Amino acid sequence: MPHLEIHDLTVSYVKDQPTLERFNLGVEQGELLSLLGPSGCGKTTTLRSVAGFIQPDAGRIVIDGRDYTRLPPNQRDIGLVFQSYALFPHLSVFDNVAFGLRMRRVSRNKVRSRVTTALEMVGLEAFAKRRPAQLSGGQQQRVALARATVIEPQVLLLDEPLSNLDARLRVDMRQEIRRLQQQLGITTLYVTHDQVEAMSISDRVVVMNQGEIEQIGTPESIFAAPETAFVADFMGFDNHFSAAVIALRDSKLTVEWGGAPIELRWRSKIGSPQIGDRAEVFFRADDASLTAGRDAHGLAGEVILSTFHGTELRYLVDTEIGEFSIMQDSASERYAPGAAVTVQPHTGKWIAIFGEREQPA
Amino acid sequence: MVSRWMYISLVILYSFLIGPFIIIFMASFGANANLAFPPQGFTLDWFANVFERSQFIDGFWVSLRLGLLATIASLIMGIPVAYALTRFQFAAAGLVETVFSAPILVPGLVIGFAMLKFYVRLGDLNVLTVLFIGHTAILFPYSVRVISASLRNLDPNVEDAAISLGASRLRGFLLVVLPNMQAGIAAAFVLGFITSFNNVPVSLFLSGPGVTTLPVAMFSYLEYHFDPTIGALSTLLVIFTIALVQTAERLLGLSQFV
Repeated sequence: MPHLEIHDLTVSYVKDQPTLERFNLGVEQGELLSLLGPSGCGKTTTLRSVAGFIQPDAGRIVIDGRDYTRLPPNQRDIGLVFQSYALFPHLSVFDNVAFGLRMRRVSRNKVRSRVTTALEMVGLEAFAKRRPAQLSGGQQQRVALARATVIEPQVLLLDEPLSNLDARLRVDMRQEIRRLQQQLGITTLYVTHDQVEAMSISDRVVVMNQGEIEQIGTPESIFAAPETAFVADFMGFDNHFSAAVIALRDSKLTVEWGGAPIELRWRSKIGSPQIGDRAEVFFRADDASLTAGRDAHGLAGEVILSTFHGTELRYLVDTEIGEFSIMQDSASERYAPGAAVTVQPHTGKWIAIFGEREQPA
Repeated sequence: MVSRWMYISLVILYSFLIGPFIIIFMASFGANANLAFPPQGFTLDWFANVFERSQFIDGFWVSLRLGLLATIASLIMGIPVAYALTRFQFAAAGLVETVFSAPILVPGLVIGFAMLKFYVRLGDLNVLTVLFIGHTAILFPYSVRVISASLRNLDPNVEDAAISLGASRLRGFLLVVLPNMQAGIAAAFVLGFITSFNNVPVSLFLSGPGVTTLPVAMFSYLEYHFDPTIGALSTLLVIFTIALVQTAERLLGLSQFV
């Protein structure tokens, strides 16, 4: 049984337009699960419902077998970390971290030792007497983490905790959060709109769109095999085109690429495809290569733009079925705009997707 | 050169601001029975006279009590209003803010006259009560504005953070929000007190027999006398106000809010 269970959660801010409708999710004991999606997808609503700040229209929140649905937020055993840190500006770092323990009437000596341990875990024991305003953003977020975890909550909730930090610090803090979470073995729900962050920090990722789960799985499986066009787009599959299925064999299907057949993996939410169906084929910019001139074994095209990205060059190639973005090692042969090229597929990494939902713009 | 012109205009500006006060200050030591400049001779008689006249002493105590009570009342009402305006989004928020700023925008004489008419109709109210209500009404928008400014600097999530850590809504407010409003409340207090203490137009209409605020007492004194007593009293008041503001600034650093 999952440690945190969300059953049929329905939340509407506007009448008859539910943000979440019969939403179900389970987070295992000690697992870090990310809710990943664009703004307005319902991920923060889910988190705030678990925290108790949103009273759902219907559904249940169960933690460790206990029904939390009607429990006020201050009686839930939950640690919460905000994007804005939300530290108490008038209190020292020590008193910020001690706040939850004092609310729980923990004895003075225990408060001292537990706060000290919590600050040691985030490397801030030397900063106990400082005010939050005297700390950097990364240090403030560490204080917020210590404050949320020192109460040893059943569940830790993090709402875009790294969005206010600069890029380099974000990578450090990601590791810091992951290390602390594993050290404490705490069940964690992590909300983010950044797929790289979700990939690197999570045991499992839930991709959400318009209040529904698009896909749930390990970072590896979602990265390699998105099930819907939305997930593929969100996971950085830069290119896609539509093609008719010309053959089916085992778990693979065949479509045409520049006059030649190519065999691809497929995912479907609407049952098995038939010959003649149209598949949406997705591939990443680095899962294709360019060869000079026109070649029978590939799709002919013309380079219209090339941009430099350090170790790689990104080409925009115009073909009869659309424009594709292709990454090439900058040490390999270079093509000027106007050059005739052939796009060679790395079919093992390409994926054909069948689904009702339209590809988001 | 920009800096020279800025310097010159600054000197002109300050001489207009401070000049009259310097003249009053010097004239209040003059031996002449008329407020004359430049003063002739030197005497402290006018300062002594301030303390001999009961209308000034009584007026001071009325103004002091009135200022303190009205300021406290305006804060008690202003704190929840400022909190609601900054924390909750509601359709009428703009309207509410406009209504609450009306006493700042409407001329004091109009407010004073309107209040006089209104309270006369209400019947036999104690003069001090009427003054208290009138002053509370004009101070209220200042409280709301200054406290709102201090609340806007506070991350709204701190309350949710406190609640998630086990505090009730009320405790969260008392332990986390209120301490962070302290400087704003103090600023509103000083600003409110000075506004009340200096108010003439509203007090003029609402004062009654035997109960007069200090500025109104000064105003009436001027109608019959033109000796430097008022100059001496003004000097004392300026010193009192500067001392008050300086103390508050030292203790709370309130210049960030006003």
